[in-house]
Amino acid sequence: MLRSSPLLSLFAFLLCWGAALVSAVSTTGNRLLAILDDVGEKENYSKFLGDLESRGFQITYETPKSESLALFHLGERAYDHVIFFPTKTKGLGPNLTPQILVNFLNAKGNILQTLSSSTTTPNSLVSLLAELDITLPTERTGLVVDHFSYDTLSAPETHDVLALPPPVPVRNDISPLFSAGAPKDALLAFPHGVGAVLGPREQLTPILRAPNTAYSYNPKEQSEVLDASDLFAAGQQLSLVTAFQAINSARLVLLGSAEMLQDKWFLAEVATPNGGKPVKTFNREFAKRVSAWAFQELGVLRVNWIEHHLNEVTAVNESNPHIYRVKNDTYTISLSEYAYDKWSAFSLPANDVLQLEFSMLSPFHRLPLSLDKSQSTPEASVYTVSFKLPDQHGIFNFKVDYKRPFFTNIEEKTTVSVRHMAHDEWPRSFVISGAWPWIAGLGATVTGWVVFVALWMYSAPPTDKKNKVGSKKTN
Amino acid sequence: MRFTQSFALALLLLAGVAQAASWGFDDGTVSVVAKRAGETGSKERFNSKTPLTKPVSLGSTDTLKISLTAKDNGQEKRPHQAFVILKEKETGLEAPFPLTVKENGKAVASITHKDLPVQFLITDEPLEASIVLGSFGSSKALNAPVFDVKLQKDPNVPLPPYEKPVRYGKKEEIHHIFRADPKSPPKVISIIFALAVLATVPALFISWVLLGANLNHLSKAIGAAPVSHATFFGSILAMEGVFFLYYTSWNLFQALPVIGAVAVVTVLSGTKALGEVQSRRLAGER
Repeated sequence: MLRSSPLLSLFAFLLCWGAALVSAVSTTGNRLLAILDDVGEKENYSKFLGDLESRGFQITYETPKSESLALFHLGERAYDHVIFFPTKTKGLGPNLTPQILVNFLNAKGNILQTLSSSTTTPNSLVSLLAELDITLPTERTGLVVDHFSYDTLSAPETHDVLALPPPVPVRNDISPLFSAGAPKDALLAFPHGVGAVLGPREQLTPILRAPNTAYSYNPKEQSEVLDASDLFAAGQQLSLVTAFQAINSARLVLLGSAEMLQDKWFLAEVATPNGGKPVKTFNREFAKRVSAWAFQELGVLRVNWIEHHLNEVTAVNESNPHIYRVKNDTYTISLSEYAYDKWSAFSLPANDVLQLEFSMLSPFHRLPLSLDKSQSTPEASVYTVSFKLPDQHGIFNFKVDYKRPFFTNIEEKTTVSVRHMAHDEWPRSFVISGAWPWIAGLGATVTGWVVFVALWMYSAPPTDKKNKVGSKKTN
Repeated sequence: MRFTQSFALALLLLAGVAQAASWGFDDGTVSVVAKRAGETGSKERFNSKTPLTKPVSLGSTDTLKISLTAKDNGQEKRPHQAFVILKEKETGLEAPFPLTVKENGKAVASITHKDLPVQFLITDEPLEASIVLGSFGSSKALNAPVFDVKLQKDPNVPLPPYEKPVRYGKKEEIHHIFRADPKSPPKVISIIFALAVLATVPALFISWVLLGANLNHLSKAIGAAPVSHATFFGSILAMEGVFFLYYTSWNLFQALPVIGAVAVVTVLSGTKALGEVQSRRLAGER
């Protein structure tokens, strides 16, 4: 119908190439919406926003009051990511209700939300966080202070600028995405921040927790006395930077201190009261990693292919058959991880394992997959396991359910039938020693029968009189 | 020499200064108050330098009372932060208990089993209590472990239910337990019984021979109806052969037509052959 000229196809190629270049930034898109009280405020964050732009994001700046602001256009997401800077307004207006924000997450949109102790958090965002089981201090504001690890240069009196080492993972099997490669004495400045308390949900992971001795208080009401019953939270229960990843892998990051992202704190030097030398903050790199994580540039996993086959040297050994029997079996999965601009081979965090479940209703097998170096490439790593199918027929699933903090969820299910042994696949009866008496009985019966027939037909009456009478009677 | 002396002096001075500008406390006491009157609880004094060696034991109905006087630079003063932090040593879980502090630095806190998180109640490890005093300004804050608390659980009071929160992570491995293979009795026994069964065949033949069985009419029968006798007996042997092939290699659909064919031959030849046998009987020859 449509004849394509060489010029047209070249144009199409260029268009595609350009699109690929632009979308190389994040795995889910590059349209970023920044919500600020006043668009002029963005000057404070110029380095952070510049870093985002240099990574390929197209940033649109809006105020919550803007009429034209809409997260959805004709039912589709109008933006891929939203970043909320602190706003002084109490609510965020009809365009950013909690319902719309939840829908945005459900539509795989990502949110980076920043808080500040100097402004109260808008109702809409507090409700959204409550939906995710994240609790903010009452009065929607709070200030985290620590009298042990504050920045002595900028807050020697108020202790409200925390100077913290880059966060180590909460557990030893979590990937150290946010601290990997940081210099040993690196310090993060966490100025005038708000801490949150996390509910017991597996989707929530603290990226940065407050130190043991930190606590949160309301500077307006509790500046003199912190009443024992009014303490919001203290110590490591306070999460300063929180990661939430929904089941559909949409992400929300709650950053307790918006000032962390300001140019001032990218350049500042901080020192702890323990008398350490002033060091340049780690904020710029941390901000890069946190935003990259939130906007699906880090910790994104992809399944390239899945293969399973019967692990037997036979003439017929097809890939991905639909039916198996109780036999040895091999399952192979190929995974890649995305980092900023390219896919690379995914390597498991230390102490973590990738597990394969072979399940019918409940798992019959849950086995660790091991890295197969011979099949892996720099772009993809291949994990494999070989095992014996259970002696139970039915419809089974090969299931790789890899859900880990800071990685997008992988849930791969491949359904196969497992049939029982056919009647002619069992061992023959002469192999089974217990059956020998029965086989001997068969032989005896057959021989006896054949000889009996011959005797019955061809036997002359015995010459013995006594026996003759008997035999006559029987015949 | 002089240099080291002056250095040491400077250090001392520095230490003095540091000590001067720091938080501390006096009159630290910890007492366990039993609910029932008449029972006198224990009372111990503690300070920030050396923690108590013996753990304080706290019964399920007792109240742990901690009191101290906070001092900034030796002066009685109210700090902004005055916490008792209980810590479970194994998991590192901490629970802060703010002290109620008066203007003059006198601080008290009381803790019962009800105030503790569930995780503390189900563990058997002693809890480490530390005092944290700190406030705004330049004074150095204090974080000192002071004593251990051992929870005495009342066996009559059931522990509150606690379920570990679900966390994404590796799960326990599962290896399917296969059903045991069917077993055969020892081969010796099978062989003995198989031989016993086979022994019945010669026993049968011998008894037949003793009873006078013979094949004397064979030539007569063959002479009278050679074709039918040969085919009839042959078809009976063939039928056994078919059964043998069915057992070793054929399937039912291969065996059935052959069985049919052999059966037809048996019937057709059998009428003639058995007729001949009958004629012999009618002739009184058997």
